[in-house]
Amino acid sequence: MDMALDRTQLMVQRAVRAFARETLEEWANVLDRESRPLPAEIVAEMGRINLWGIQAPVRYGGAELDTVSYAIAIEEISRVSAAVGLGVTVHNSVCLAPLLKFGTPDQIERFVPDLASGRKIGGFTVTEPQAGSDAASIQTTAAPDGDSFIINGQKAFVTNGGVGDLFLVAATLDPAKKARGIAIFIIEKSMPGFQVGKIEDMMGMRGNMVSELFFNNVRVPKDNILGRPDEGFRISMQTLDIGRIGIAAQALGIGEAAFAAAATYAAERTQFGKPIGTFQAVSFKLAEMKTRLDAARLLVCRAACLKDRGLPFSTEAAMCKAYASDAAMRVCREALQVFGGYGYVKDLPVERFFRDAKITEIYEGTSEVMNIIIGNAIMKEFGRM
Amino acid sequence: MLSIIVCVKQVPDTQKAVFDPKTGAIDRSATGNIMNPDDRHALEMALALKDAHGATLCALTMGPPHADEVLYEACALGADRGVLLSDPRFAGADSLATSRALARAIERLGPFDIIVTGREAIDGNTGHVAYQLSEFLDAPLVSQIHRIRIDGAHAIIERQYGHEYQTIRCPLPALLSVGSRDNRVRHPRLADIAAGAVQPIRRMTMDDIGGSESDYGASGSPTIVIGAELFSHTRGREALPGGTAEKVEALVHRLKKHNILRY
Repeated sequence: MDMALDRTQLMVQRAVRAFARETLEEWANVLDRESRPLPAEIVAEMGRINLWGIQAPVRYGGAELDTVSYAIAIEEISRVSAAVGLGVTVHNSVCLAPLLKFGTPDQIERFVPDLASGRKIGGFTVTEPQAGSDAASIQTTAAPDGDSFIINGQKAFVTNGGVGDLFLVAATLDPAKKARGIAIFIIEKSMPGFQVGKIEDMMGMRGNMVSELFFNNVRVPKDNILGRPDEGFRISMQTLDIGRIGIAAQALGIGEAAFAAAATYAAERTQFGKPIGTFQAVSFKLAEMKTRLDAARLLVCRAACLKDRGLPFSTEAAMCKAYASDAAMRVCREALQVFGGYGYVKDLPVERFFRDAKITEIYEGTSEVMNIIIGNAIMKEFGRM
Repeated sequence: MLSIIVCVKQVPDTQKAVFDPKTGAIDRSATGNIMNPDDRHALEMALALKDAHGATLCALTMGPPHADEVLYEACALGADRGVLLSDPRFAGADSLATSRALARAIERLGPFDIIVTGREAIDGNTGHVAYQLSEFLDAPLVSQIHRIRIDGAHAIIERQYGHEYQTIRCPLPALLSVGSRDNRVRHPRLADIAAGAVQPIRRMTMDDIGGSESDYGASGSPTIVIGAELFSHTRGREALPGGTAEKVEALVHRLKKHNILRY
């Protein structure tokens, strides 16, 4: 098993790192403080360098990279701005990826070029005010009407909601059928009856315009159903498997940023006549942080490699997401502790890393839901024996 | 279509470099390698010329086998091909022996309309190579380029020269030396990285460029480094004696001595 990155992956890492430092770093605090999106020209530049189409085919304007490179890119962006990393990972892995995987040739031709180039920003939404972990209980309805469906309902906590142009929306054709009644619709902002609700005032990820979305008699042509009408739930679950690798990479990026800040500070900050990093109270923290991050990295890499080889990766994606988000949270907590009082003030970014890290344990399936997935896989394996 | 060659160099990332405090030498094992920053600007100028006028762009480097990394990077940014000039017989070259080898390789690879180099490398900081190449290749060299366009067999160049701009007309082939202030370097597209990373690199040795061992490497280098030491930045405190007028005069004298005040 080769643990080293190949030349393309290393060059992607170097290039995205340089882009994030040179272009995004100056915005990271501004986005957080003002809860505003990136300027349009930076979004466009990200499109030019293929960040909105990391794995999309070259013929549609993407970079057609493997999933390991994808995870590297998300990590590097998230090291500098987790909120920007969130927008990129959601657009790529839960909007573009399912369109490419389940879309008809016509849907791919119609929607992918604009998304892969960043001319349009995408999102994916299942969650509703009353339907979180119990995703099959959604109440947004789709009623057939001639060659169209009429969509009514409300979605909650939609990443990219305030800036997105195109969303994959889960709606039920028949609530009695539960999961089997759910279909995914490709809905564009321009469709009458589509409305962006409140932009959430969040603890972290404040540079992403997470919002409510309302659908008020939105007429969607039948051609905009992704996959078969009865496989929406399955598509959602497979989509989230892909998304979880991105969220894990994002958590890893946040953790790495917090760790680097803490290690740098521990080497500089002197108390009792010595750098605090030379005291075991601090160096043991750093050692544990580093070990956890490396373990998370290996889990992310394994899930990405399995996906690239076309092997099952659902359980491995759940494991890397649960572990990396936990590692990010712990690393941020300890990094803030290393900084002492300086970690608690907004002059330094550690408190932002801490606030940003928390959500990685919640979205795209909570850590508890990850454990359900992993636990079910264990029972499936051992129950058969 | 123009034919352009860009000379690039792989250097230790001196921002992360660890220096041996006794010898002043860089510990190259502890430092990552990067494309020399000025060379990125040189490449950017070549890419801008390619965008504006159409060109085939060849990136050339001399160095150990792993120096091919900067060629893949150049290809990711838009170079059409990369050439690595690498031979143990080139080891220990000073700027003169380096320029001689590069010039001979360029003659073999040519003909070229434009040869672009970075102003200087961050590891040696000699800034010699562009001038030496100009001599070896018998082509004019233009530096401090603010704006450039090609007009037939000439380059029309606006250059910043002290406090004025000059517009000059220079026959091709010509050498351009580019520094960090001359343009803004683009970021590579990820799709081009994937393509550039697998671009075949042409490898050349002394046998491909001719000459004898005494022309190259340490034996072809007149420069002998007799010592290197680190800059040290230290602060000191000094109380100036006398009344206010005397203190001011003494202070002004010191500031002038260190070239902080000039008039």
